[in-house]
Amino acid sequence: MREAELEEQRTGRGHAVRYVVVWAMLLVLTATTYLTSRADLGSWNIVLALIIAGVKAGLVALFFMHLSEQQGVNRMVFVVSLAFVALLIGLAVTDLATRTRTALPPGYPEAPPDRQGVQQRGHQRQSGEQLRR
Amino acid sequence: MSSVSAPAADHFPSREVAHHAARMGMWLFLASELLLFAGLFTGYGAYRYLYPEVWAQASKHLDVVLGTVNTVVLITSSLTVALGVHFAQRGKNRMTLLVLGVSIALGLAFLGIKGVEYGHKIAEGALPGRFYSYEGLQLPGASMFFSVYFLTTGLHGVHVVIGLAVLCWLSWKAWRGEFSRERHLAMELGGLYWHLVDLVWIFLYPLLYLV
Repeated sequence: MREAELEEQRTGRGHAVRYVVVWAMLLVLTATTYLTSRADLGSWNIVLALIIAGVKAGLVALFFMHLSEQQGVNRMVFVVSLAFVALLIGLAVTDLATRTRTALPPGYPEAPPDRQGVQQRGHQRQSGEQLRR
Repeated sequence: MSSVSAPAADHFPSREVAHHAARMGMWLFLASELLLFAGLFTGYGAYRYLYPEVWAQASKHLDVVLGTVNTVVLITSSLTVALGVHFAQRGKNRMTLLVLGVSIALGLAFLGIKGVEYGHKIAEGALPGRFYSYEGLQLPGASMFFSVYFLTTGLHGVHVVIGLAVLCWLSWKAWRGEFSRERHLAMELGGLYWHLVDLVWIFLYPLLYLV
């Protein structure tokens, strides 16, 4: 960071333009994520949306938050925190995904999901569980 | 770059080291903030997995236009805060004050739009838990979506309010002409906090409004 700043002071050129470029990219990505969400891509919709959000977050972190100029330890703090976030969400969802159906809360649509029947069955299960208690 | 105008505390060998430590402290704090939000994102993931139908339908009941406008507002405020850091690093206090003023206005606009959205949801009865009385969506687990919606956007909103308070404090410093090439750490760290608020919204926007 020091070197870049000294270089900049010597040449007298600011890099404010860089922020505007990043901002424009963020707006383009926002438009992209909005437009792609209109298209029906099945389960790829959320994957694509998360990838775009990840790229946007990367741009903000690297340039607006100057992570690209930070020294080792500060970068590590951020990366480690992201690893823990992934661990938390990943394990929690894996836990749910590998449970048997009966352990899931009332209202959960039984396979295969049947749009009309879901609500009714949900209520039946709920009242059934209340009886058991 | 040792300077009399900004001495380091005694236990730091130099101002450079002191600033590095301050930045690291801020990054640690931001990491803890990320994990705080991650708890809610986990809840989102779990309930989305349990009630895929509800999630698919409920997200259509949110106002995408207001959500998108708010995204643009927040991204733009992040730009102006980044410019604020840029000007503060060069000791341009008046420019810093100007862009911070714009940032505060954008932050207030974000909260205003959010308030309008909340107003709609409250009027419809699309509320968490037992307060749920929305006729347009009657599925088991429907209130869970709005619990998650209000919790995530609510916690985010609290962060916007705190961020605005920080920006006001920085504006006051800029108004007093306190920033210089040597002294701009407060602006840098305050800016980091505001960008974190933006970062969280970048994920909330597609997850709540789009998919």
